[in-house]
Amino acid sequence: MIGLDIMYAALFVSLYFEVFMLLAFIQSRMTRVARRIPPIKELADYPTVAIVVPCFNEAKTVAGTIESLLALDYPHDKLEIIVVDDGSTDGTFAVAQHYESERSEGYAAATVRVQQSEYSSRDPKYSEHLIASVNAGEFRGGVPFTPRVKVFHKENGGKHSAMNYALSHTQAHLIGCLDADSIVDSSALKHIAPVFQNPHVAAVTPGILIKKPETMLQHMQNAEYRLSIFNRFTLAFLGSAFITPGPFSIFRANVVRETGGWRHGHSTEDLEMALRIQELGYSIGNAPAAAVYTGTPRTVRALFRQRVRWTYGFLRNAIDYRHMFTNKKYGNLGIIVLPTALLSIAIAIFFFLRVAFYAVIELSHQITRAQILGIMPHFSFNLFYLNTSAMWFLIYVSVALVLVLISVGSLIGTGSRRPPAGTPFFVLFYSFLVPLWLGAAVIRAAFKTGVRWR
Amino acid sequence: MEEPVIGTRAARWGSYLVAFVITAFIFATALYASNYFNNQRISDIRSTQDDISIDILSLETQFDLLQEHSCSDVAENTILPSELSSLGNQLSYMESQGPKDQSEVVRLKRLYSLLEIKDYLLMKQLATKCNLKPVFILYFYSNKGDCTECEKQGYALTALSETYPQLRTYSFDYNLGVSALQTLVAIDDVNNKLPALYINGQTYYGYQSVDDIQKILPQLKTLQKSAATSTATSTKKKK
Repeated sequence: MIGLDIMYAALFVSLYFEVFMLLAFIQSRMTRVARRIPPIKELADYPTVAIVVPCFNEAKTVAGTIESLLALDYPHDKLEIIVVDDGSTDGTFAVAQHYESERSEGYAAATVRVQQSEYSSRDPKYSEHLIASVNAGEFRGGVPFTPRVKVFHKENGGKHSAMNYALSHTQAHLIGCLDADSIVDSSALKHIAPVFQNPHVAAVTPGILIKKPETMLQHMQNAEYRLSIFNRFTLAFLGSAFITPGPFSIFRANVVRETGGWRHGHSTEDLEMALRIQELGYSIGNAPAAAVYTGTPRTVRALFRQRVRWTYGFLRNAIDYRHMFTNKKYGNLGIIVLPTALLSIAIAIFFFLRVAFYAVIELSHQITRAQILGIMPHFSFNLFYLNTSAMWFLIYVSVALVLVLISVGSLIGTGSRRPPAGTPFFVLFYSFLVPLWLGAAVIRAAFKTGVRWR
Repeated sequence: MEEPVIGTRAARWGSYLVAFVITAFIFATALYASNYFNNQRISDIRSTQDDISIDILSLETQFDLLQEHSCSDVAENTILPSELSSLGNQLSYMESQGPKDQSEVVRLKRLYSLLEIKDYLLMKQLATKCNLKPVFILYFYSNKGDCTECEKQGYALTALSETYPQLRTYSFDYNLGVSALQTLVAIDDVNNKLPALYINGQTYYGYQSVDDIQKILPQLKTLQKSAATSTATSTKKKK
């Protein structure tokens, strides 16, 4: 019976948090004028931005990532792309260098050609001078021209070391990261940059969508990512974002320097950095219209590895930042968000173990039954035997709320309320996968085994 | 799509409270709905039991009138065994799924046991008076977790009942504590070595398979097989 009591308590906590998040979202809508497509704020003076592409053996995908960054709609003289090859053993460095030397100049030339038309009416020779200056790497109109793509190679040291390497090689006001398996929408940076006008904001997260989901597993993750869009948005409203995801989270560079740069953070430097920013009292905003398309694991094995790393990182960082848990000083983050995030891991594992336990018992009953009555199922429907326990009602409500949250996430991230096609499979099967990596991560975290990226 | 959002993380105590009230309301609604449907089930069972009580009373009355009337007026299957069996299944389901407080279910189960005993005795009397040949099995089980083979035995009896719809199987929870049941246990001399089957004046302890029971109870062959089984058998024979 105590198991049943724990189940009800766990369901109450889960439902409570879902309701709390939904209420927060409704509050966010009520306090702001809702517009389906937010206008891009044109700033008089855009801040300089450095986007870092840390890569380790990403030869196949890094080109697409760089191309998408080069296509960003942002003043070219304010945008710097820094590719840090973190000791790759494949052709990553060569592919990236190609952009540094050729494509970058191509884009630069294109820029100049545009400007050429502006100047041609006044001084036809000026444009020729510009092109010559650019090609010679000289200065243009008082503004130093630098190739837009810088490529560095260093010894393998992990993503955090690649980020710090880039930080030490840029003077940009803002610095962000784009994992080499992601591509970014051309308007993304223009959605993010204006948020930094608020001096309290140290970081802004984007809206992360899945890049071309193909397998069933990716379709399920698509639904999960929509839920994450909702969570990221609502947590930002609650001032409680505790992850600044790798794909295109942008930081105020001086705050990153002030906090000591990126740390290993138990292989989750994005989570550790977010907690540190929160600890120092800065805000983390969210710009869901800044669309980033990220690659996701295609197989259960790859997904398992990725999620064990994420959960392991959360658990170990939770120990490092335990002073923030239940601490009123950190507001919603300390009082409700972090404790619930931790509790949800225990709840998911408990649910799974309980369901698995009863499933095994039921299976043994069915085997015994089949041995005596035969394997032919007895099809009979009687309303009397319809399970109407309170537990099932609460599970139905909880699942319905998850569907609502996925729909809201879709609305926030894509402008359409329609949940992705993989949603039914996500609801039916994903909850049976999640406890597996949660359990593995808990064991690893308890024994401090560490986790690897790949 | 939404505009960028930045929020202050100051605790929203009001929101905490509102979320708590809404969650508590959802819980209360779920508990109320569950309770409502359980009560509906219990009233269904009670209604079926009332029907069976009336049937038994009717049978008793008919039996009393037998002195004046012929046996042909009393059908052997006045109370359908399937009706009792279905009631038993419903009670068993309620017992496994029901709320923590099972007192109402246990009360109904005691009444059900009494109805079974009453039906059993009446059918025995009818059999003697009218020279009928009903086939009985009294099955004693325990669901206190001390009878590992009771589940198997239950399935075997279900299989037999499905094959022979006229077989009258009476299931009794050995530990139910109904005085009439205790008297029956004492009269039939059934020990606490469950599962136990009382067939033709003899008690068999431990699991008895369908084949075992068919050997113990040759009268089963005199009963009509269910349509499904007959069809299956005849189809087999045709091959």
